[in-house]
Amino acid sequence: MKFDVLGRLAQLGQFVLGHIQSIGRSGIFLFLAIFSRASFKNKGELLIRQLYNVGVLSLIIVTVSGLFIGMVLALQGYSILVSYGSEGAVGQLVALSLVRELGPVVTALLFAGRAGSALTAEIGLMKATEQLSSMEMIGVDPLKRVIAPRFWAGVISMPLLAAIFNLVGILGGSMVGVDWLGIYEGSFWTGMQQSVDFIDDVGNGMVKSLVFGIVVTWIAVFQGYDATPTSEGISRATTRTVVYSSLAVLGLDFILTAVMFGEL
Amino acid sequence: MNTISTNQSTDNSSDVLTTDNFIEVRGLSFYRGSRVIFNNIDLDIPRGKVVGIMGPSGTGKTTLLRLIGRQLVPDQGSIMVDGHDIASLSRERLFVLRRKMGMLFQSGALFTDLTVFENVAFPLRIHTELSESMIRDIVFMKLQAVGLRGAWSLMPSELSGGMNRRVALARAIALDPEMVMYDEPFVGQDPIAMGVLVGLIRKLNQALGITSIIVSHDLHETASIADLLYLIADGEVIGRGTPEEMLNSTDPRVSQFMQGMPDGPVPFHYPANDYQKELLTPEVFDEV
Repeated sequence: MKFDVLGRLAQLGQFVLGHIQSIGRSGIFLFLAIFSRASFKNKGELLIRQLYNVGVLSLIIVTVSGLFIGMVLALQGYSILVSYGSEGAVGQLVALSLVRELGPVVTALLFAGRAGSALTAEIGLMKATEQLSSMEMIGVDPLKRVIAPRFWAGVISMPLLAAIFNLVGILGGSMVGVDWLGIYEGSFWTGMQQSVDFIDDVGNGMVKSLVFGIVVTWIAVFQGYDATPTSEGISRATTRTVVYSSLAVLGLDFILTAVMFGEL
Repeated sequence: MNTISTNQSTDNSSDVLTTDNFIEVRGLSFYRGSRVIFNNIDLDIPRGKVVGIMGPSGTGKTTLLRLIGRQLVPDQGSIMVDGHDIASLSRERLFVLRRKMGMLFQSGALFTDLTVFENVAFPLRIHTELSESMIRDIVFMKLQAVGLRGAWSLMPSELSGGMNRRVALARAIALDPEMVMYDEPFVGQDPIAMGVLVGLIRKLNQALGITSIIVSHDLHETASIADLLYLIADGEVIGRGTPEEMLNSTDPRVSQFMQGMPDGPVPFHYPANDYQKELLTPEVFDEV
C-alpha cells in the first residue's frame, strides 16, 4: 500500500514535470520562430499565402457568426429594455458587448476551431511525411520557413477578424433592432456613439484579440510541430489545440478584463 | 587521424578503405528508451565510393542516416562529416554543412503544396542566386535523369510512390551535393525504373564523384553497385567488405543474411514464448 502511494506521487511528479517541460520547450520554440532572421527571398510571399490560409479562409465562419450574434443580442436586449421604455439603448448594448467581449472571445474560439486545428494538422502531417526533416536536410530551418510565417499570419489575422466580427455584428444588431423591431434609428446610433470610447472599448478589445491571436496560433503551431508523427498523434494534437486554446482564451479573457475594466 | 589510418590498414584487406573518409563514425551508441539501437559501432564512408548499409529490418539503418545528418544526436561517440565533428556545429554551420549532403527519404518527403518542378527547384531557389531560366534548365536536366521531365507540372499527390521517390532523388541531387544518402531507394520500383536507378546512382558516383550511402534490403541491386558493404545487426557491425568478400564470407551471421536463409544465428522471429505452449494453453494471455 505504501509503495502504491509513492508510485502515485511519482506519477504525479512526472505528470507535472512533463507539462512544465513542454511549456519550456514551447517557449524556446516560439522564441526561435519569432526572433530568427529569415534568410530566404520570398518570405513576403510565404506570409501572404499563410494570411490567405489562416485569415481569408476564416472570413466566412467569422462573418456569419458575427451577424447572428449581433442579431440575437439586439433581440434579447430589446425584449428586456422595451419594458423600461429604453429600447433606444439597444445600440449601446450591442456595440459594447461586441467590442469589449464577444468580438475578441468568440472570434478567438472560432479561429481556434477553424484555423488553429488546420495549422496543427498541416504541420503535424508535414512532420509525419518527413517533409520537415527533408527541409532540414536541404538546409532550410523549418522554424523559419514553415512555423514563422504561419505564426505571424495568425497574429496579424486575429485582430482583423475580430474587427470584422464586431462590424458585422453591429450591422446585424441594427438590422434586427432598427429595421425589424422599429427602434428609432437616431437613438440607436447616437446611443452607440456616445457610450463607446475608442481607446477604452475598441482599443482594449483589439488588445485582447491580439493577445488571443498570439496564444491561439502559438498553441496551434507548437502542437503541430510537437505532435507524435502518426495518425493517432496528429488527431490528438489537433484536439489538444482546440481544447487548450479555448481554455487559454477564456482564462486570459477574465484576467485581461479584470486588468482593463476592473476599476469600474 | 593517425590512429584511424593505422586502424584501417591493419583492420581489413580491402583496398577501398585506404582512401580518405567523408564520414567517420567512432564509438557510436544510440538508445531509444531502454532499447539499444547502436552499441559502440565504428564505420567509415570513404570519399567518392558507393557504400551499402544492409541489415535486417528494425536494426536502425534509417536511424544511422538521421544521426549522420544530425537530425538525431548520438548518446555516445562522435560522427565526423567532411572533417567536421557534427555534434559541435552551431545550427547555422550545420545547415551550411547539410548543403553538401543530399538525402533521399524512404517516403520521398516531397513538399505536398508544391509542384514537381517547384520541389526540385526548391533547394536551388534557397541556396543559389541563379536566374529563372537557369533554374528551369537545371530542374529539367535532373528530372530527365530520373525519367520524369514530362511530369514537371504535376502535384506530388498525382504521382505513384515510386515516381515520388524518383522526384525526391532529382531534388536530392539538384544542388550537386558531395554525398547522397539513399534510404531504401529501390522499394516500390518496377524492374525498369530499378535498373535506371541503379545505373543512375552508379553514374552519379562515377561522373561526379558523389559519395553515396545506400541503405537497403535489396541485396542484389545494392551488391551490384556498392564498393563496400556494411552489415548491421543487433546494434553492431557484424560484417564489412567488398560485395565479393561478403558473399564469400564464412561468418555464419553474414552468410545467413547474404544467402537469405531464415535459420541461422540471426533470429527471424521476434522474441516470443514457446510456440507449442502458446497454442495449447490459451491462458498465457492472462499472464501478460
